[in-house]
Amino acid sequence: MNGKHRTLGATKPRALGLLVAVALVVGACNASASPSSPASQAPAPSTAASASLAPAITPVPLPPNAPGPNGGTVVSWFVGLGAGGQPQQLAAEANFVDAFNKSQKDVYISLEIYNNNVAGSILKTQIAAGNAPDIIGPVGVEGLNLFRDQLLDLAPLIAKTGYSVPGVDPKLVDFFKLGENNATVGVPFATYPSFLYFNKDLFDEAKLPYPPTKVGELYQGKPWDMAALRELGMKLTVDKNGNDATSPSFDPNSVEQWGFDMQYADNSPLAETSLFGASSFLAADGKTAQIPDPVSIGEKWYNDGVWKDHFIPSASQINSDLLDKGNEFESGNLAMNESHSWFTCCIYPAAPAKPKIKQFGFAIAPSYNGTITAKLHADTFSLLKTTKVPDAAFKAMTALVGSGELLTLYGAFPANPAQQDAFFKATEANFPGVKLDWSVPQAMLAYPDIPNHQSWVPNYAKAKSAWQAFQNKYRSTAGTDIDAELATLKTTLQGIFDETAP
Amino acid sequence: MTDATESNVVPIAEIGGPRWHSTQSRRETMWGFVFIGPWLIGLVLLTAGPMIASLVLSLTDFDLVHPEAVRFVGLDNYVRMASDPNVIKSLLVTFRFAIIAIPLTTFASLGFALLLNSSKLVGRNIFRTLVYMPVQIPLVASTLVWIGFLNTQTGWLNHILGFLGLPGPDWINSETWIYPALALIGLWGIGNFMLINLAGLQSVPTELYEAARIDGAGAGTMFRRITIPLMSPILLYNLVISLVVTFQYFTQAYTMTNGRGDPNNATLFINLDLYREAFVFNRMGYAAAIAWLLFVIVMALTLGLFAFARKRVYYAGGDR
Repeated sequence: MNGKHRTLGATKPRALGLLVAVALVVGACNASASPSSPASQAPAPSTAASASLAPAITPVPLPPNAPGPNGGTVVSWFVGLGAGGQPQQLAAEANFVDAFNKSQKDVYISLEIYNNNVAGSILKTQIAAGNAPDIIGPVGVEGLNLFRDQLLDLAPLIAKTGYSVPGVDPKLVDFFKLGENNATVGVPFATYPSFLYFNKDLFDEAKLPYPPTKVGELYQGKPWDMAALRELGMKLTVDKNGNDATSPSFDPNSVEQWGFDMQYADNSPLAETSLFGASSFLAADGKTAQIPDPVSIGEKWYNDGVWKDHFIPSASQINSDLLDKGNEFESGNLAMNESHSWFTCCIYPAAPAKPKIKQFGFAIAPSYNGTITAKLHADTFSLLKTTKVPDAAFKAMTALVGSGELLTLYGAFPANPAQQDAFFKATEANFPGVKLDWSVPQAMLAYPDIPNHQSWVPNYAKAKSAWQAFQNKYRSTAGTDIDAELATLKTTLQGIFDETAP
Repeated sequence: MTDATESNVVPIAEIGGPRWHSTQSRRETMWGFVFIGPWLIGLVLLTAGPMIASLVLSLTDFDLVHPEAVRFVGLDNYVRMASDPNVIKSLLVTFRFAIIAIPLTTFASLGFALLLNSSKLVGRNIFRTLVYMPVQIPLVASTLVWIGFLNTQTGWLNHILGFLGLPGPDWINSETWIYPALALIGLWGIGNFMLINLAGLQSVPTELYEAARIDGAGAGTMFRRITIPLMSPILLYNLVISLVVTFQYFTQAYTMTNGRGDPNNATLFINLDLYREAFVFNRMGYAAAIAWLLFVIVMALTLGLFAFARKRVYYAGGDR
């Protein structure tokens, strides 16, 4: 008996210890992760998450396969992958859907809207659960890439219905042949040409003329190209003693104003170097990784701009208070920024803060080797392959594409020239006293980057994380050997592409 | 009367008898289950269920966007991890950070607890509140504040270092300095561990110190011979929790780099890699396998700690 007791006694602590260990591990695994606090900080991230996970508008529950309340075929419209998930946009979208559903009896749109930061994950979950929507959008090229093989080829529906967007450049129609085997996965809706935004006050202070607003115009008697941009950028870069970057007394350690950057380029070398020409990391054979010349040449230009000429801010300078922790142009300390027409969103800070920029203007993108490339963003609507009602979904989609109200609501530069005036007026209303030259974005629409800087590559999301890592490295590390890093990137990308090879 | 009274008295031996014991014990067991019932249901439905599901998932190539193409792949995901540079890198990153953060957190929280337990400290409650206060701030918000504080150009820390004549490093963008930076951020929130240590310190019987003092023991000896042994279960608890949450490290790394693991994957912690595989690259099956790898590592390290602590931790109530 005693012996038995001893055995039990010896086993007990071990078993108890194991149980406690498992309980602690499982318990702690359920808690928020922080090395500094076991539990109490858990509510913070989860509260934030739950707030952002909350759908903005959920679909009205309808019996499956039954017609909608207006007697039409039910078509679900999923919003959130691009524009459309902002609180101020919800009511207008709901009103559009109501008006559409009342205006006819063939199609009933069921609207669901999610916040942009969770919409992608929700759509993936819906696809996995077999209840994917019929229409997605507005969605940009990158969003289309992430769901590329789930998108329906619209060409047969376009041919069947004879659909066309009047007045749109054929280049923009071809732009949406982004699906598998060049399938047309969208139609022109909203375009966002890119061009130079410049801070007029900083130019006036430096007594420098404004950059060109017409294609082919010279700047101070020289072609408006990347060399001119570099020189101008250096003249507009100023240290705390007021010396510009061309001065021998310039102190690169105390820069307070920078000449140029391409803000919000998503850490993409393809976006950043698009001024040197459109390119892709994917060779024409569709499976080989490459480092195209524009990237190779362009990244050396940027690397020198950050670390040698000092007119482009480094990663830590971008995140400093001097450049408003990432919103460089808004800070008033960046003279020129190459960005898209949607960037008008981010020039003035949210009220009640007062704008730091008083006067700004639009200018032509500089050329490289005589060629202008103004990278393009474009939003569209797309249908998923899983739709059981393609005809009804296409009808609803064309109604969305044709809506002027939605365009204005999304702040999108209309692809259809007839709709552009309304957009200009709506945008100018946000900048009283500022005269904007809309001929610049209109002109830049003729120089889109084809292939687009967001073009599909195999294993897109993972490939993107690799090129973003390259971009971050040179922006944060002085003396980066660009050629060596690009060679490494090429090998990495090839490995990533090969992961999805059949 | 006496007889009657005597006949009503239940013999003591009968109360403690086997039948009474068995009924009482069954009743206690039943009530025990009633009380832990909600937790048990939660454990089965919300923890054990998903754990089993993730184990099954880890044996498949389940992709969120292509659910129809799911295949059983056996142990392929586990084999693949051995040669996946991201998994290897993320494990190295996590271990490197753990080596810095866990001792720092443990010693700093104990140090603060000792200071804040001192009877000589004026305004103890105010200081206790101040040390605990950062824990109340949402992690994302505090990380954003720290990003500003650590900025090379305009951050206060480098300004202070500059004032002292010391060169300030690029805390956030340097592959070397990012770990001390994250450890520093972690230190800001040691309030919980400090509080647990403080409770432990206050539970050490004062008679032991008085007796030791009479015997001529100094402060160092009392700390080594009395405080540490009696605090050892608390220290072990903090160490285990600290280990687990370090291997679960995610929010600060995600907030600082938008989930990219910058600079040069130096903040690609294993949990961040898991998240990216699952929700960015859509490879749920593979991510589930990484989750199980993480579980096994944490479990092994925890058991290792328990084994190490078996003869070094003093439990006043006896063996545990």
